[in-house]
Amino acid sequence: MSEQGDVIKFMPQVISLDYIVRTAPVNAEFGRNMQAGRVTGHKCPQCARVYVPPKGFCPICVVETSKADEVPVTDRGVVTSWTVLTPIQYHGQNEREDYALASILLDGASGTIGQQRLLDVPLPEIRMGMRVEAVWAPEDKRNEDDGRGWGFGSAITGFKPTGEPDAGPEIYEEHQL
Amino acid sequence: MRDVAIVSFAQAPSLAAVDKTETQMLYPVITSAIERSGLGRKDIGFTCSGSADYLAGAPFAFVSNLEATGAWPPISESHVEMDGAFALYEAWVRLQHGDVDVALVFSSGVSSRGNLREILCLQNDPYYLMPLWADHVSLAALQARALLDAGLAKESDLSEVAARARRNGQANPNAQVSGDVTADELLSEPYLVAPLRPSDCPPVSDGAAAVILVAGERARDVCERPAWIRGIDHRVDPHYPGVRDLSTSASAALAAANAGVADAPIEVAELAAAFSHEELILRDALGLGDDVDVNPSGGALVANPMMVSGLIRIGEAFRQINEKGKQRTLGHATSGPCLQQNLVCVLEADS
Repeated sequence: MSEQGDVIKFMPQVISLDYIVRTAPVNAEFGRNMQAGRVTGHKCPQCARVYVPPKGFCPICVVETSKADEVPVTDRGVVTSWTVLTPIQYHGQNEREDYALASILLDGASGTIGQQRLLDVPLPEIRMGMRVEAVWAPEDKRNEDDGRGWGFGSAITGFKPTGEPDAGPEIYEEHQL
Repeated sequence: MRDVAIVSFAQAPSLAAVDKTETQMLYPVITSAIERSGLGRKDIGFTCSGSADYLAGAPFAFVSNLEATGAWPPISESHVEMDGAFALYEAWVRLQHGDVDVALVFSSGVSSRGNLREILCLQNDPYYLMPLWADHVSLAALQARALLDAGLAKESDLSEVAARARRNGQANPNAQVSGDVTADELLSEPYLVAPLRPSDCPPVSDGAAAVILVAGERARDVCERPAWIRGIDHRVDPHYPGVRDLSTSASAALAAANAGVADAPIEVAELAAAFSHEELILRDALGLGDDVDVNPSGGALVANPMMVSGLIRIGEAFRQINEKGKQRTLGHATSGPCLQQNLVCVLEADS
């Protein structure tokens, strides 16, 4: 019972946990390249798979990779999968309109990069195999820290269609996520 | 029951803040444990890990951690949102099925990303303790007070435990804190949360560990001196600390009885006593006499990576047999506030 004699049915309890994610040296190196407008990966010396961002090791072969294994990757690729998000207006939500996040297989990379914003495309026109290119933030607006330790920072604001013919399923069928 | 032995153990040094991702931190530890076993990744029939995504602040962080195992072709694996010692228990149960002989157990914890005293509040019940933000250090202090009030220990006894942990930590390259200190020196510290002083409390640590288990005769083939799991059991006290007698640990005593601790003398015990008074409660509950060497590594008071500390205790108990010629040792792990849940693992060498 409350002081007023009412039965308490609900009690608001706001829980907030703050984290600081440091960027590991391997990811920071990748991030410095991103700041300079270059997408890079680590190429496994054993299986030649290219990881973007680099992990510092190949999880398939279980061998370490380093700066010596760094290779350039283009900033163009293919949408392999996507989700349209309808933002619920919870506290702290900055999005107001529906938007799309996609997994993108960059040309020269062996795996996708996830949760990339799609720009300059009507949502119903998004499709698997759509060819896209990175939209780079102005150099003075590129923040190194993405808060997740990935190294992407905010160098790329999203990806937009290139207008080229779509890639066939043989390009993306092994990359659903 | 099928005989299962620990044949290899590896750990990362405990650090205040590791300069890697959790997966990158695990990679050399898992690789080292496998290499030391002399087995290959393809020999591993089951993998079980322990970690908590709340520590990393990333949902499904435990899935990325699997990349450090080389999980291709796909492996048979499981995960517990607990200390790796409980993952070891699951792997031990899995090996009892009889169809696989080798298991990898690993765990990791990156506490440096958040505020541990806030995060661990989330393990409390959501109705009474969570709204109070009853943090684990304050709850530990209540338990220490219960022990003192029951006349079972004095504050100087707590400092004796803390000083010995720091002295033992000097010989442990993986320890985060250590020093040639006396109990009197530590007693002069101001309280952190009375009656606990900073030295009675563990450091906040990032760390990782891995163990290889092998069942049956094969353990002797790959390891010169395997440590056989003679008894292993875990028991839990009620979730709400207010309904327990905090000056004792019924669950630890029950786990010790079921693990057969008293069947023969224990030479070395590694206890996951993160607070100094916990060692006194556990010594009593586990029936360990003064002749038992407790925490020669320094224990959880000198290196306490969450979700890893218990697995390290079992790993250190293994090292006592494998490297230091001991015959019978004990590893202990705990989970929850105020020693709520306790796991006891008795290891023996071939006689």
